[in-house]
Amino acid sequence: MLDLVAANIRQRPVRALVSVAGVALGVCLVMLFTGLARGMSNDLQRRSSNMRAELFFTRPGSKEMMTSTVNLSTKYVEELRKIEGVEAAVPVIRYISQGNRGFGYEQIEGVDWAAYASMNNMRIVRGRAPEAVDEVVIDETKARNNKTDVGGEIQIFGNRSYRIVGIYTPESGARIKMSLAAMQDALETQDKCSYILVKCKNTGEGRVVAERIDAALPGNKIQFTSEIILNIEKSIPYLGVFLKTLVGLSAIVSALVVMLAMYTTITERTREIGVLKALGASRGYIIAVIEQEAIVISLLGLVVGFTVSFVAGFLIQRVYGLVFEYGWTWAVIAALIGLGGGALGALYPAMRAANLDAVSALSYE
Amino acid sequence: MRTIVKAENLEKTYRIGSVDVPALRGVTLEVEEGEFLAIMGPSGCGKSTLLHLLGGLLTPTSGRITIDDEDLTASSDARRTDIRRRKIGFVFQRFNLFPTLTADGNLRLAERIHAGSGGNGMGDAERRREVLRLLQLEDKMHHKPLEMSGGEQQRVALARAVVTRPAIILADEPTGNLDTENSAIVLNMFQEMNFRFNQTIIMITHNPEAAAMCRRIVQMRDGQIIAPIATIQI
Repeated sequence: MLDLVAANIRQRPVRALVSVAGVALGVCLVMLFTGLARGMSNDLQRRSSNMRAELFFTRPGSKEMMTSTVNLSTKYVEELRKIEGVEAAVPVIRYISQGNRGFGYEQIEGVDWAAYASMNNMRIVRGRAPEAVDEVVIDETKARNNKTDVGGEIQIFGNRSYRIVGIYTPESGARIKMSLAAMQDALETQDKCSYILVKCKNTGEGRVVAERIDAALPGNKIQFTSEIILNIEKSIPYLGVFLKTLVGLSAIVSALVVMLAMYTTITERTREIGVLKALGASRGYIIAVIEQEAIVISLLGLVVGFTVSFVAGFLIQRVYGLVFEYGWTWAVIAALIGLGGGALGALYPAMRAANLDAVSALSYE
Repeated sequence: MRTIVKAENLEKTYRIGSVDVPALRGVTLEVEEGEFLAIMGPSGCGKSTLLHLLGGLLTPTSGRITIDDEDLTASSDARRTDIRRRKIGFVFQRFNLFPTLTADGNLRLAERIHAGSGGNGMGDAERRREVLRLLQLEDKMHHKPLEMSGGEQQRVALARAVVTRPAIILADEPTGNLDTENSAIVLNMFQEMNFRFNQTIIMITHNPEAAAMCRRIVQMRDGQIIAPIATIQI
C-alpha cells in the first residue's frame, strides 16, 4: 500500500509540498509561540529568583512583575526600615517599554545601586555603578546579545540616549538598570517608586514581618517574592488562553490544508478509486490508502515544522535577544496536532472516496 | 460441467431525474466453469450493466445472481466486495491501470487487495513474472503505463486481472481501444488463460472476430438476451 501512497505523493509534488507546508505552519505556530512564552517566562523567573528579598511592598492595584506603575511613595522606605525584623528596604521603579528593535518588550529598573546590589549579592564586573541621569549598567547577557560593552550607548524611552558605564552579574530583575533618581527624572515621578523590596533579618521570618508591616502600614499590599516567582506565567494576562487558542487554530489550519489537498486528490483520482473497488478493495482499504497518504504528508510536515521552528527560534534569539525554550510537552502536543489534524482532515475525503459508486467512478472523466 | 455464474430474471432500472430508464428487462443466463463467453449487441442494449451486475459493482432492481454458489444479490455491499476480491477479475476497455505504478506495481497492488488482511504485502514475485512472461511483457515489468503502447497496457491490465487466478474474468470491450494486431495478441492471451488456467471469461465485444474466438456468443438487444436464435454455440 505504501508504494501506491508514495507514488501518489510523487505524482503531485506541488500539492504535497503545500500540504506539508500547512502542517508545518501549525507545528511552527505552536512551537514558536509556546517556546517564546516559556523562554521569556523562565528567563524572567531565573532573573527574579536571584532576588534575595523575601517581600514586595506595593500599593494596592499595582501589578507585580509586568508593571510600569510608579505610584508608591519612597517615604515608606524609612518607615519599613524601622519595623522589627526588616534588614533592608530598597525602592525600585520598573519600567516596561517596547523593545528598541520593534519586537518584544524591554524592562528597565531604577534602583539605588549600592543598596540593591548589596541586598542581591550583585557586583560590577566591568566599569562602575550608574550615577548621572544619563548612565546605565547592563547585565552580561544584555551586553553579549547587544554586542556592546562599557562605553557603548543604548536608546531608552524612545530616542533618549544612555551611556553604558558598567556590566554587572548575576542577572537579576531587569537587564538594564539606572539610578532611581535618573528614572524618577526621566518619568517625572519624583519621590515615587513601583515597589519596595524588603529583606528580612531572618529568612524564615517573612510571614511574621509581613504581618508587622501590615499592622504598621495598613492599606498597602505585601507579597512574598517566592509566590510571585512561581506565578510569573499566571501574571502575564491571558497567556494560557492565548496559547490554547493558538493550539486550536493550529489544529484547524493543519486539518483544513490536508482536507483540501486530499479532497482535490479524491476528485482527481475518482477513476482510480473505481478501479480499486473493481479489484475488490474494501471501504477500509480505500480509507487506509488515503489516510496513509495524509499521515505521510503530516509526518513530513512535522519534520519541516520542527526544523523551521528550531532554526527560526535560534535566529530570532540571535537577532532580537528573545529567549526560546522548547518543552517536550508542547513538542508532543504540536506533533499530535500535526498528525491528528492531518488524519482528521483526510477522514472526510477518505470516507467520501470509500462511499463512491464504483460504476460512476469508473466512468468519471 | 458446473454452473459458476447464474443470473435469473435480472432487471435493472436507472432513475434519471424523475424518469425510470430500464436497462435490463428480465435477463437469465447460465455460464459454466471454464467457459469463454462473448456478449454482443448494439450500444445501450444493457451489456455493460449486465457485466457490472455480475461483478457485484451494481445491484439489480430485481432478480438473482449466484457466483460460484454464493448469492450475490442477497449479500451486503461488503460481502459483494469480498466475493469480487476473491473470485472476479476485471478488464476494461480503457485499461484503467494506475498511472503512478509500474506494470509490476499494478500487479502487486491487485495481489495485495486479493490477499486482504492475510497477505504478506509482497505478493508472489514468481507468479507475476510468469504472467508477464506469458503476456510477453517481461521487459516492461518496471515501465509505467504511459511508457507503454495501448496494446501493452491492455496486456498489463489482463495480467492484473489474472495474476490472482480469479475463477471469473469479466472483460468490458477489452479490444475496443486496440488496433488489429494488438487485439489479436490480447484475444490470444484470453484464450491461453482460459485454456491454461480454466478461468471462466465473460467478454463484451462489438467485434465479430473477437466474438468468434469464444466458445459461445450471447446476443442482447433492448435489455434482453435474444434467445434462442442469436445464442450461438461454437
